[in-house]
Order: sequence, then structure tokens, then C-alpha cells
Amino acid sequence: MEKLLNDQVVEQIQQAFAQIKEPVQILFFGSKTNCDYCGETRQLLEEVTAIHDHLGLTVYDLQENADLAAQFNVDKSPAIVIAAKNGSEVVDLGIQFSGIPAGHEFGTFIQDILLVSGRDSGLGAQTRAFLQGLEKPLHLQVFVTPT
Amino acid sequence: MLLAHQMAMENPRMIRAEGVEATEFPDLANRFQVMGVPQTVINAGAGMIVGAVPEQNLLAELMRAMN
Repeated sequence: MEKLLNDQVVEQIQQAFAQIKEPVQILFFGSKTNCDYCGETRQLLEEVTAIHDHLGLTVYDLQENADLAAQFNVDKSPAIVIAAKNGSEVVDLGIQFSGIPAGHEFGTFIQDILLVSGRDSGLGAQTRAFLQGLEKPLHLQVFVTPT
Repeated sequence: MLLAHQMAMENPRMIRAEGVEATEFPDLANRFQVMGVPQTVINAGAGMIVGAVPEQNLLAELMRAMN
């Protein structure tokens, strides 16, 4: 199959991934039906995670792995969960992307990997205190387009 | 989107931050009347921010929406 990432892009990602610290596990949830971008998204994740040995990828099906999808609060396909990996344990950080991370969002996806790898949000003290004190669930949906 | 993801890290038990590719999920985008991107929807419409904003602005909207 033809690569989605050319050599030049792979080189740029390699430079960015020099900052990778801790292991990151990426979970892909696809679906056999009604999922135009599942194949391409999965291939993109395979190519990105092959670039650094601290990155793992596990592939799931939204219907066949419904329990796991529910555990990670995934309800769409394609969906990507960017999780931390501590030893053999995959730790959900609530970080998801629904759809293919293409165009501008591909850069964000690479930054997401670095964020999770660093294990630190980098946020200010006031923001951290507010978020850590939440007593009700918070669902943030950030709508984006590829261009 | 990165800011929302940074926020989830602080309390993943309570927070889920989901980037949504609007053209792939048009029904959802229509439901929240997404016009410009990025558009941040807080708890299915309890709060909303259009455009990329600094951390302080999103925090202020969260405080308002979660109150």
C-alpha cells in the first residue's frame, strides 16, 4: 500500500519525537460499516506509531469491542484514544479524537502524543485547581475541520 | 483542541476531551450549529466557545457553564 506520510514528513515527525519521554498507547476504534475514513485513519496511525519505539497501537472494532469502547467512552468511528502506558497498564487520560487527524489537525495529533508522553498538562495553577476540584463530569467537544 | 486535551489530563476521571472532525460527523456539528472552527462545546451546549482562545478564557467559560 502507498504510504500516507512521505519521507520528508517522517523526518519532521522524527525530529518532533526526539522529545518523547514516557510510553504512549494509541487505541484505534474502527467499524466495518458506515466508516469512510476508518482505513485511512488506521493506516495513518500505523505509520506514525512505527516512527518511535515508545509508541504502541492497538486496533479495536467499535461493535465487537463494545465493552472496551464503553470503558474509554468511545461512541464514534473512527475514534482515536491517546493514552498513557505505565508498564503494562494503559491509563485513559480522557484524550480523544473522532475522525481522521488530517491537515492542520495532524500537527495537533503529533502534539497530543508529545503532551501525553510528557505526563504534564503544562496548565496554570488556577486552571489545574479548578479541573481537579470538579465534582461533575465535563465533556469537551472541540469541532475542527481538516483545512 | 490541544488545550482541551491538556485539561482532560488534569482529571481524566471527570473530564473527557474529544476533538471532532466536523465534516465526518455532520449531524453532531449541525446539532451544535458549528459555524466556525475550532468551536468548543461544553457538556452538550451548557457552554460554548467559537475560535481558538487562551487558557484563561476557556477556564472562565468552564466556570460559568459548570456553575
